[in-house]
Amino acid sequence: MAEKHFIVIGNGPAGKEAAFTLRERDPESRITVISKGRASSYTPHLLPDLVAGKIQEEDLYGCSLNSYAENDIKLRCCQEVVDLNLLKNEVVLEHKEVLSFDGLIIAVGGTPRIPENLLAYKDLMYTLKTLEDAKIWVKKLQQSESVLIIGGDLTSLVLTKALIHLNKKVSFILNEDAFWPLRYDDDLFKEAAQRLTDKGIKVLYDRNIKKIEQLQDGTNKVQVDDQVLQVGMVGAFFGLVPDIGFLAHSGLRIDRGILVDKHLNVGVENIYAAGDCAQIYHPDIKDYWISIGYENARMLGRTAALNLNCGCREEEVKPESIFEVQGININTTWWTEF
Amino acid sequence: MSNVDLTVEICGMSGDGTIAAGGFLNAAVAKAGFSVMAFDSYPAEIRGFGRCVTRCRIGDEEMLALSDKTHVLISLDDEQSQSRLSGLAESATVIFDNKPPSMVPEGASLAAHVEAGTNLVGIPFRDLAAQAAGSTRGRNIVALGGFAALFEMPPEYFHEVITKKFQAKGASILEGNLRCFDAGYNYSKEKYADRIADTLSSENGNGNPDRILQSGNIAIGEGAIDAGVRLYFGYPITPATPIMEYLAKALPEKGGKLLQMEDEISSIGAVLGSFYAGTRAMTATSGPGFALMTELITHGVMAEIPAVIINTQRGGPATGLPTKTEQSDLQAAVWGGPGDSARIVLAAANVPECYTYTIKCFQLAEKYQTPVIVLTDFFLNNRVETMAPISISEEEKADWNIYPDKEDQNNFHRYRITESGISPRPKPGMEGYSYTATGLEHSEKGGPDYTPENHMAMNSKRHRKIEGALNDMPVPEEYFVEDNLDLGVISWGSTFGAALEAVQKARSNGIKVGALKIASIYPFHADLIRSFMEKCGNILIPELNYEGQLAGLIGHLYDKDVIKLNQTTGVPIYPVEIYQKINEIMSR
Repeated sequence: MAEKHFIVIGNGPAGKEAAFTLRERDPESRITVISKGRASSYTPHLLPDLVAGKIQEEDLYGCSLNSYAENDIKLRCCQEVVDLNLLKNEVVLEHKEVLSFDGLIIAVGGTPRIPENLLAYKDLMYTLKTLEDAKIWVKKLQQSESVLIIGGDLTSLVLTKALIHLNKKVSFILNEDAFWPLRYDDDLFKEAAQRLTDKGIKVLYDRNIKKIEQLQDGTNKVQVDDQVLQVGMVGAFFGLVPDIGFLAHSGLRIDRGILVDKHLNVGVENIYAAGDCAQIYHPDIKDYWISIGYENARMLGRTAALNLNCGCREEEVKPESIFEVQGININTTWWTEF
Repeated sequence: MSNVDLTVEICGMSGDGTIAAGGFLNAAVAKAGFSVMAFDSYPAEIRGFGRCVTRCRIGDEEMLALSDKTHVLISLDDEQSQSRLSGLAESATVIFDNKPPSMVPEGASLAAHVEAGTNLVGIPFRDLAAQAAGSTRGRNIVALGGFAALFEMPPEYFHEVITKKFQAKGASILEGNLRCFDAGYNYSKEKYADRIADTLSSENGNGNPDRILQSGNIAIGEGAIDAGVRLYFGYPITPATPIMEYLAKALPEKGGKLLQMEDEISSIGAVLGSFYAGTRAMTATSGPGFALMTELITHGVMAEIPAVIINTQRGGPATGLPTKTEQSDLQAAVWGGPGDSARIVLAAANVPECYTYTIKCFQLAEKYQTPVIVLTDFFLNNRVETMAPISISEEEKADWNIYPDKEDQNNFHRYRITESGISPRPKPGMEGYSYTATGLEHSEKGGPDYTPENHMAMNSKRHRKIEGALNDMPVPEEYFVEDNLDLGVISWGSTFGAALEAVQKARSNGIKVGALKIASIYPFHADLIRSFMEKCGNILIPELNYEGQLAGLIGHLYDKDVIKLNQTTGVPIYPVEIYQKINEIMSR
């Protein structure tokens, strides 16, 4: 019998955990991880610490590239899946290479979301999703004394800590849309604003950005309702959009993310989704739920791998449910630390 | 140490435009003010199949050798490029066509074989070329555009070299190629904005655009023209043919002529005839052709007729490895041929020396009335490197022939036995200086003379003359020489650059090692070589031949066995290979 070939799309916290869990459970299978990124899997929630200069790049990596090879996991970096063929169980890469699989875990993560009304200024706004983004922050901050943060998702709050550490002057336009598609509730919104103010940060609530323009000296003029702010950098933090455009014609059920059941199965045998790209059905609320945070992503990746692995012998092993493992748990250490 | 040290490799199938793309890259990078050393490797067959590779090492300081590691691989053919992946440096960049004409199964793409951590850059070469110029032919130019953007190299340098190449082919072709370049440049700049490095930005060049980019072959051709050569006789052979091609154009512009002969025997015969008549001429060949020339070379030795032969060594013996490099004709150059036929042999180590030694050998040939052989090799002949323009003095161009005095008129002894061994030589037709020039052993007047005394005297005279030539030949060049060196590295020809770089690296790591470059292969400066050897605890001689031919020639000067490093892989030796040998010796 030919060896099984498992493919994991994505090498973030969920993808990496999925791949190593698959190997842990199945020493014989062929495992391929396909990643758009160039580097080994790193811990993205530490990127603000890199910006702050508290850690070095090497501190980000949970495991080296060698560890993939040591575990006989083929890591394909800088490669992108552009199509999924459910009839043939094949993924097509951007460079037209076709890979067959026996099992698939989609863990592609997301890209920073910019609200439609700000898209015209996206080239003047910085996000913090990748290592490359972090390097750009480090470089730009050398010439910038002040930063305006628009939005207010988890990353922006941790980045704000980093900016305070660097003695930068931070302004904040706190937007209740920052956790799109979830929204801050009133209590959380007020608490966030209060904590930011306590840190000496000027907080503006739900203001409309009318215009952003770059001045000759490299600073930015931001027109906020009737107020004009001049800042060195502008950061935009409105959550993530799952990076699943390649599934548009796959036949998978897509809403904001890939719709999966409580076992993270997409509704097709041996195909699972995990991490930021998964929209998970919650049997209690009878609706879909979105996971946030590094630890949750890892947990989802592991769950998907366990289920993909045990799904082959369903009669022996009960599939794991994320709710049974950990319940709905957004890791909120960022908040208490802040 | 150099801040910029980037080796770029382009790999494709014959017909992909690999070598052409390499030419554009070399020229553009040189125009941007960087130092360049580049070398092409291609199959022996004419066209249609086989791997072509061009490698370009770019730096902000003088490049001494190629690097063993490639930092950027541009793949014009995935299948051919797979074998090049093993030579990639850590975190290298691989640029490939990510839109092949059809879907490919798993493993058929280059992307399937690159190591994790490689900066894999997909650019749709064919699609962009077709959109820009209506055909996929310009995909190599698209690739260069993508490369330039990734390393922040200003596009105008490429625009300039592309324009120079294509402007004579009409506006449509020129503009199509420029659009191809821009398409690759813009695609890369936009899609890979977060991966752009400033390695080749304007700030990093060394700002010396006055230097020229020159190949060993063209340097030899230009040296011949500047030395006043007006006649070339030859028969095509790899890797010497480009010299002939260059002179086929250059000589007529100077009023000279090039004649393709029926073989190498007639070529050297014609060169001897031309010199006999008083006109500088030359020929260039490689191992198999040189073998054919040897009898007539010894005729030049016996009849004391100047000749200049460039031996561009390639892999041997016999037809051997026509498009691979080797340094295995040293013994043939020094000893090849019947009898005690001492002749002068020089070896060029870099492109500037290809020029200067070509000029030098005409002086030596004329003054010492003997064939002079310049040894180069495939790597040296075909590589290009940036160099400062060289100007030569009138004395260097002058006729070095020693003409007879007036008192010899009408009682002329062409082969007069002198202390130096040099007998004045007239041009034919000079009144009162008639003589017989013959390959038979002869008397002072030129008539046959086989007597024991005469043959002894004439052999002595001819060898005295060659030994005396040492006074006009390049002395060994010493590097980092001090007393009590742990190791001395002696090298010749194109291997020397790699040896010197290895020595520099070893010294930076605290090893007491020096280097000696030998350009005068025969005769050689035994005293100076021995003096260097006496300062060294060990002697290492790296060569691109199996037998250790230089080591065999000079090894007896050392009071211990010299250590040999011999390689016949067909590719140039890399500094790291010599460096590793140095470390191995030092750890004994």
